[in-house]
Amino acid sequence: MSQQQTKNIITLRGSAQIICEYLKFAMNSVLFQRGLYPAETFKAEQHYGITLLLSEDAQIKNFLTNLLTQSEEWIVNKKVSKLSLIILDVANKEVLECWDFKVEYEEGDTALSKERNETVGNKDLKKIQQEIRDVMLQVAATISYLPFLDRRCSFDVLVHAKTDCDIPEQWAEAEPISITNAQNVQLKSFTTSLHKMETVVTYKLFD
Amino acid sequence: MAKEGDMSLFNDVLEPFRRVINTDPPKEKLSASLKLNFSDSNQSLKEGLSNLLSLGKRKSSIGMGDVSTPDKRMRTESTSNAGSVPPSPWEAKKMKIDLIAAKAQITRLEARVNHQHTIRKEMQILFEEEKGSLIEQHKRDERALADMEERLQVIRRREQELKDEFSDAVKEHKEMKANWDKDKSELLKQIAELKDKLLEANVSSKDQLSEMKKDMDELLQALEGAQSEVDILKKEVAKQTSRAEQCTSLRTQLEKQTFELQQVTNKLKELEYEKDSYKDWQQQSKTAQKRLSNMAELEKEVTRLRANERSLRDAVCNKLLLEEQVHVLTTKVEALQPVQQKLHDAKVKIASLETALEEWKTAARNHGVENARALSSALEAALTSQLTATAGCSEAQSKLAQLTEEVATAKYERDKTATKLNDLQTVRKNQESLIHRLQKRLLLVTRERDSYRQQLDCYEKELTVTLSGEGGVGGAALAAARVEQLEKSLQAYRDLLASLDQTAHTKQVESLRAEVSKWREEAESLRRDVLKLQAQRDVLQAHLERLHAQPATKVLHMMDNPAAAAQKQIQTDLEAAQEEIKRLTAALREGGNVACPEEMQQLKQQLENSRIKLKRMKEEYTSCAQEYKDVVYMLLGYKIDRTGHNNYRISNMYAESAEEYLTFTLCEDGIEMVQTDYAETLSELVELHLQHHHSIPVFLSALTMNLFTRTTMQQDAHE
Repeated sequence: MSQQQTKNIITLRGSAQIICEYLKFAMNSVLFQRGLYPAETFKAEQHYGITLLLSEDAQIKNFLTNLLTQSEEWIVNKKVSKLSLIILDVANKEVLECWDFKVEYEEGDTALSKERNETVGNKDLKKIQQEIRDVMLQVAATISYLPFLDRRCSFDVLVHAKTDCDIPEQWAEAEPISITNAQNVQLKSFTTSLHKMETVVTYKLFD
Repeated sequence: MAKEGDMSLFNDVLEPFRRVINTDPPKEKLSASLKLNFSDSNQSLKEGLSNLLSLGKRKSSIGMGDVSTPDKRMRTESTSNAGSVPPSPWEAKKMKIDLIAAKAQITRLEARVNHQHTIRKEMQILFEEEKGSLIEQHKRDERALADMEERLQVIRRREQELKDEFSDAVKEHKEMKANWDKDKSELLKQIAELKDKLLEANVSSKDQLSEMKKDMDELLQALEGAQSEVDILKKEVAKQTSRAEQCTSLRTQLEKQTFELQQVTNKLKELEYEKDSYKDWQQQSKTAQKRLSNMAELEKEVTRLRANERSLRDAVCNKLLLEEQVHVLTTKVEALQPVQQKLHDAKVKIASLETALEEWKTAARNHGVENARALSSALEAALTSQLTATAGCSEAQSKLAQLTEEVATAKYERDKTATKLNDLQTVRKNQESLIHRLQKRLLLVTRERDSYRQQLDCYEKELTVTLSGEGGVGGAALAAARVEQLEKSLQAYRDLLASLDQTAHTKQVESLRAEVSKWREEAESLRRDVLKLQAQRDVLQAHLERLHAQPATKVLHMMDNPAAAAQKQIQTDLEAAQEEIKRLTAALREGGNVACPEEMQQLKQQLENSRIKLKRMKEEYTSCAQEYKDVVYMLLGYKIDRTGHNNYRISNMYAESAEEYLTFTLCEDGIEMVQTDYAETLSELVELHLQHHHSIPVFLSALTMNLFTRTTMQQDAHE
C-alpha cells in the first residue's frame, strides 16, 4: 500500500516539470506543423507513445530551454497565468496566430498535502501522459483547419505573469497582442491534479 | 458262370475302349514325332501321314462297327443265357439283381460309349483339321523343296560355269605364261644386247670424256681470259661508279643549291615583305614623329587632365562628406520634425490663445475695465459678490432641501390621503351601484305593484261587470279590455327583460375591459423589467470591460526571441540591399569606363592592331589576286573578269578590240556560255567545239589559235 502511495505522489516541482515538458513538445509541434522552419531541421522522437518532432536548430533549442526553465520557476511560484506562443508576420509584425497555454492552479490532494507538509497531487502519471497525448494529437490535427501561412513568419512566446513578478535578466515587458477577426478553437485540457493546462488556438480568419 | 459271362461281356464291352485308350498314346507320340520330324525329311512325313491315315481308318471302323453292334448282341446273348439254364429262385433273384445291375451298368456304359463316341467325333474333327493343316504344310514344303531344288540346280549350273571359267582361265594362264616366257627370253636377249651396247658405250664415253677434258681445258683457258676481261671491266665499273657518285654528289649539290635558291627567294620575299612593313613602319614612325612633336602639347594636356582628376577626386571626397552631412541632416530633420510639429501646434495654440485674450479684452472693455488691475479689482468684487451669492445660494439650497423634505412629507401625506380618497371613492362607487341596483329594484317593485293594482282593478271591473249584468256586448268589450291590459303588462315585462339584459351586457364588457387594462399593466411592468435588466447588463458589461482594461497580469517575453532576431535580420538585409542599390546607382551615374582604363587602353590597342592586320591582309589579297590574274592571262591568254554573281567575262589576248569578249555563267551542273554579239560571229567554232565536242577549253584554245594566226598573218601582211 505504501509503495502504491509513493508511486502516485506528484510534487509541485514535478507537476511544473510535466507542464514545461508538455509546453516544449507542444511548441515544437506547433513550429513543425505550421511550417515556420524547414521540416529537415526537425528530428522525430518517441514520447507519450507517439512520435513527436523536436527542432534541431540550436537557436530555437536554446530559446526554448531558457524560456521553459524560467517558466518552471514561475509556475512553481504560481506567478504565471498564461503562456502565449504568437506567430507573427516578420514584414509588418502582424500577429497571425496565438497559441494560449493557460495554467490554472489546483489544490491537489489536501489530506496528503497536510500529511507530507507540502502541496502534492495523487494522479497517475500514465493517465496524465494519456491526456497529454490526446492534446498533442489534437495539436497535430489543427493543421487541417488553420489558414495557410504563406509569408515569412517568426514566433515569440509571451508570458502572462502576475504584476508583482520581478523581471529577470534578458526579459522585458511586451505589448499585449490582439488579433483582428479572430477565431478561437479550444483544444482538450489536461490536469496533473496540481496544474490544469488549457490549450487554445486563436487565429486570424482571412476573408 | 454268370460272373464269367458277365466278365466276358464286360471285356467285350470294354475292349474297344481299351483299344481306343491304347491307340490314343501312339497317336500322341506320332503327333509329337510328326512335329519333331517335320522339317527332317519328306519321307518321314509321308510315313507319318500314312500311319495317321491308317489309324483314322481303324478308328472309324472301331467307332462304327465294334461299339454299336455289341450292345444289341449283348441283350440277345443275355436272354439266350437266361433261357438255357433254369435258375433257382435264389439264383434267379441274384441273376435278376445281377441283370438289373448289369443293365444299369450297360446303360452306364452305353452312356459312356456315347460319350466316347462324341469324344471320338471331336477327335476325328480335330484330326481332320490337323490333317488339312498338315497337308497344307506338306504342300508348302513341297513347294519349298522344289524351289530349293531349282536353286540347287541353278547353283550347280553356276558351279559348272565357274568350273568352265576356271579351266578357261587356267588355259589362258598357261598361254600367258608361255607368252611371258617367250617375252622373258627375248628380253634376256635384249639385255644381253644392251649389255654389249653398254660396253660399247662405255668405251665411246671414255673417248668422249677425254675429248671433253680437252674441251674443258680449252674452256678453262677461255675462262681465265674472260676473268681477266672481267677484272678490266670491274675496274671500269668502279670508275663508272665513282663517276656516278660524283654525279650524284653534283646532283645533291644542285638540289642544295636549288633549295638555297628557294630559300633565298623566300628570304627575298620576306625581305620584300619586310620592306613593305618597313615602309609601314616608316609611315608609322613619321606619324609617331608627328605625335612626338605634339608630345609637349599632350604632356600639357596630361597635366591639365591630372589636375582635373585631382579636382574630381576632391569633389568626390567632398561629395561623400556632403552625403554624410546630408545623412546626418536628414536624421536631424527626422528628429526635428516632431519638434517642428510641436512648434506648429504651439504656434496654433498661441494664436488661439491670443484670440481668446483679445476676446477677453474686448469683454473687459465692454464692462468698462481698461486695466488689468481694474479687472482684478472688478474680479475681486465679482468674486466677493459671488461668494456672498454662493453663501446665499447655500442658504437657499439648505432651505430648498428643507422645503423639498417638507414637500416630500406633504407628498407622502397627500399620497396617503389620495389612497384614502381612492378607497372612499371605491366605497362610494360600490354604494352608488348598490343604490342604483336598489333603485332599479324599487322601480321593478313599483311596476309590479302597479301591475298588481291594474290587475286588481281588472278583477274589480270584472266583478262589477258580472255583477251588473250578463250582456254579450259588455262581455266582449270586457274581454277586449282585459286582453289589452294583458298585452300592456306583457310589454312591460318585455321592457323589463330588455333593460335587465342590457345591464348584464354592460357588466360583461366592463369586466373584459378591466381584464384588458390589467394585462396592459402587466405588459408595461414587464417592459420596465426588460429595460431594467438591459441597464443592468450594460453596467455589468462596462464592469467587465473595466476588468479587462485593468490587467492583473503583465506580459513578459525574452528579449532575444526568434521574432526579434528575424526582424533584426530582415532590417540588416534591407539596409545592406539599400546600400548596395546606392552604390550601384552611383556607379551607374559615374559610368563604366572609369572602372578599368588600362583594360580599355589595351583593348583599343588590340583593335588598332587587328585593323592594321586586316588592312595588310586586304592588300596582300588584292596583290595576290592581281598576280593570279596576270599569270592566268600570260599562261592561258585570257583575261577573266568577274562581272557579277556567277558571271565571268573573258577576253582573249589576241582580240582585236575590247568588244570582243565572251560571257560565261557558273551553273549548278557546270559552266555555260551566254550569247553575246561576239559569240554570234564565232558560230563555226561554237558548233564544232561546244555542240559537237562539248569542251569549252578546246573551244577557247581554238579561238586563241584562230586569233593568233589572224594577228600573225596581219603582221606578215604588214611586213
